[in-house]
Amino acid sequence: MVGLSVGEKHFIKGGIEQDLRTDGRKRYTYRPIYVETGVIPQANGSARVKLGATDVIASVKAELGKPSPSYPDKGKVLINVDCSPTAEPAFEGRGGEELSSELSVALQRCLLGGKSGAGAGIDLSSLSIVEGKICWDLYIEGLVVSSDGNLLDALGAAVKAALSNTALPKVQVASAASDEQPEVDLSDEEFLQFDTSGIPAIITLTKVGKHYIVDGTSEEESQMSSAVSVSVNKQGRICGLTKRGGAGLNPSVILDMISVSKHLSEQLINKLDSEIAAAEACEEDEF
Amino acid sequence: MRGVQLSLSKTQKLRLETALEKLESLSSTTSNNSNASVIVADTIPINYEDGVLKGHGTSEMDGRVVATICGVVERVNKLVYVRALRARYKPEIGDIIVGRVIEVAPKRWRLEINFSQDAVLMLSSMNLPDGIQRRRTALDELNMRSIFEENDIVCAEVRGFQHDGSLYLQARSQKYRKLDRGQLLRISPYLVKRRKQHFHHLDQYGVDLILGCNGFIWVGEHVEAKDDMVVDQMIKSEQENASLSGSVSSREQEQSHTSVEIRQHICRIANAVRVLSTLGFMVTVELITELVDLSISHNLDIHEMLGAEFYVIVAEKEAERRSLATKKR
Repeated sequence: MVGLSVGEKHFIKGGIEQDLRTDGRKRYTYRPIYVETGVIPQANGSARVKLGATDVIASVKAELGKPSPSYPDKGKVLINVDCSPTAEPAFEGRGGEELSSELSVALQRCLLGGKSGAGAGIDLSSLSIVEGKICWDLYIEGLVVSSDGNLLDALGAAVKAALSNTALPKVQVASAASDEQPEVDLSDEEFLQFDTSGIPAIITLTKVGKHYIVDGTSEEESQMSSAVSVSVNKQGRICGLTKRGGAGLNPSVILDMISVSKHLSEQLINKLDSEIAAAEACEEDEF
Repeated sequence: MRGVQLSLSKTQKLRLETALEKLESLSSTTSNNSNASVIVADTIPINYEDGVLKGHGTSEMDGRVVATICGVVERVNKLVYVRALRARYKPEIGDIIVGRVIEVAPKRWRLEINFSQDAVLMLSSMNLPDGIQRRRTALDELNMRSIFEENDIVCAEVRGFQHDGSLYLQARSQKYRKLDRGQLLRISPYLVKRRKQHFHHLDQYGVDLILGCNGFIWVGEHVEAKDDMVVDQMIKSEQENASLSGSVSSREQEQSHTSVEIRQHICRIANAVRVLSTLGFMVTVELITELVDLSISHNLDIHEMLGAEFYVIVAEKEAERRSLATKKR
C-alpha cells in the first residue's frame, strides 16, 4: 500500500465532507461494475467482477455429499476467500491470511445466515437430493486478483454472478432400500440452473469523519474509522451484518447506515442483475 | 487499451473500435510505417544504404535488423531503437519530476519516482525555509522533517546522475515545493512528452497542473509560489493569531478545505487525465482542457467521465482531430 501524504489525506477527507470524491463520485455512487461469467470452464459456475481497479473471481464447484445429521434436508455450502499475492506484495505466503479469513467469515455471515440455515440468502433445501442421504455440497471459492478497496462488495457480486452461472447436473436417483446408499446417475446433458433471485447483495458503508461513503477506493478506505457491511436481498430484507474497524459507533449511526444501505441496495441489485444478464448473453454469443 | 475494463453496449463497442481503427490507420499512414509497432522478431524497415546505428531492443539477424522486444520503433537521426511500452521512466537532466518521499536519510531525502532506483534530494540542493543561503548545520539536519516528511509529495528537477547510476535532484527554485491540497495521478511515463513548460496554472479553474516527466501528474488547488522570507513572516503572524484565539494548533485544522468549485475542477481534470491514460493518448494541457470542456458541453457528471460513453466520445474526437490535422498537411 502506497502511503499518502498529510495533504492528500486532508484532500480526501475534505472531498468526502463536500460530497465530491477524488474521482468525482458522490458519496453514494458506485464505480462502474463489469461482470464476466463463465471464466473458469472446469467449475460448475464462475464469474469475474471488476469494480474500478478491484478485480475478483468467484468459482462454484458442486460435489455430491452426505447432509449433516442435524439438518438432513439441507445441502451444504462452504465459502472460502483467498487473497492472491498479485493484488498486494504483502499477501505473499501467509500475509494475506488475516484478510482472507475476515472476508470468508463476512461472506458466510452475509450469505449463509444462521446454523440452521434460517434466513440464509442461499436456499439450502434446494440442494437436497435424497433426504438424509445425498445432497449437493457447494464449494464457493473467491480469489482477489487486484485490490483497490471494497473487496467485500465485489466478492458478494461475484458470488451472486457465479451462482447464477452455476449449472448443477440433473440427478437420477435409483430407488434403493431405505438403509442403503442409493445409486445416483449424473446426467451429462441436462442441467439445472441455480435459483439466485433470493441471493442478497452486499453493501459496505465506510465511515470517514462524520459521513459514510459507499464503494471506497483503497486510498479512501485507509482513512476510515469503521465500516459496516449489510447484505440486503431483493425483498429489502437484511440477511447479514458485519462491522469492521476499531472505532466505536453510536447505535443511531448504525441504524442510519442500515437504512442507507437498504435504500442503495435496490439500485445495486437491479444493476447487478442487468450486468449478470448481459454477461450471460455475451457468453452465449461466443458459442 | 489495458487498465480499467468497460462494460460497453454493442453500439458503443462498434463506435470505439471504428475510432481506434481510424487512429491506427492514421498513425501508420502519416509516418509511412516508419513508426510501426513491432513484436519480437519483426523486421524493422530501414534504408540499408544509409548506415544505421542499431540501438536498444534491436539485433542483427541474417542481415536484417529485427526487434528483440515488443514496442514502438523510434528513430533519431541515424539511431533506430525500439521503445518498450511498459518501460519505467528514463530520466534526463533538466526533467521536472514529481516524487513521493519514502525515506528521510542523513542530509538527504529519498524519493520514489517510478525509476529503477530511488532518487536522492540532498539537503544542500533544497532552499531552506528562511531563504538565506548558508551552510547547512547539524540543526538543519535534525529539522529535515519540518521541510519534508515521509509520504510527502515533492516537485523537483533532475540535477544529474552519479557514476553508479543513481539520480540526484535539486529543488532550488520557488516553484519546486511540497505539494498538498490536491491529488496525485500515476500514468505511464511515455505519455508525457518533454516540453518547455511542465507547470501549468489553469487560471479559469484556479488549479495547478504539474505534468511530471516520470508519469506522476499533480492536480491541485493553486498555491502562489511565495517568497520564503514573506512566508516565514506570514506563518509567524498566523501562529500568533492562533495562540491568541486559543484554537487548536494543528495546522490542518487551521487550513480550510478546498472550496467546492475548485474541487469540481480538480476532479474533472483528474478524470480527463485518467481517461487519456487508459486510452493511451498523449497527455498535454491542451488536450486536458479540451476534454474538460467536452465533458461540460455534454452535460456529463464528473464521475460519468469515467463511464463507457465518455471514453467512446473521446476516442472519436481524437480520431477526428488527427484526421483533420493530417488533411491540413
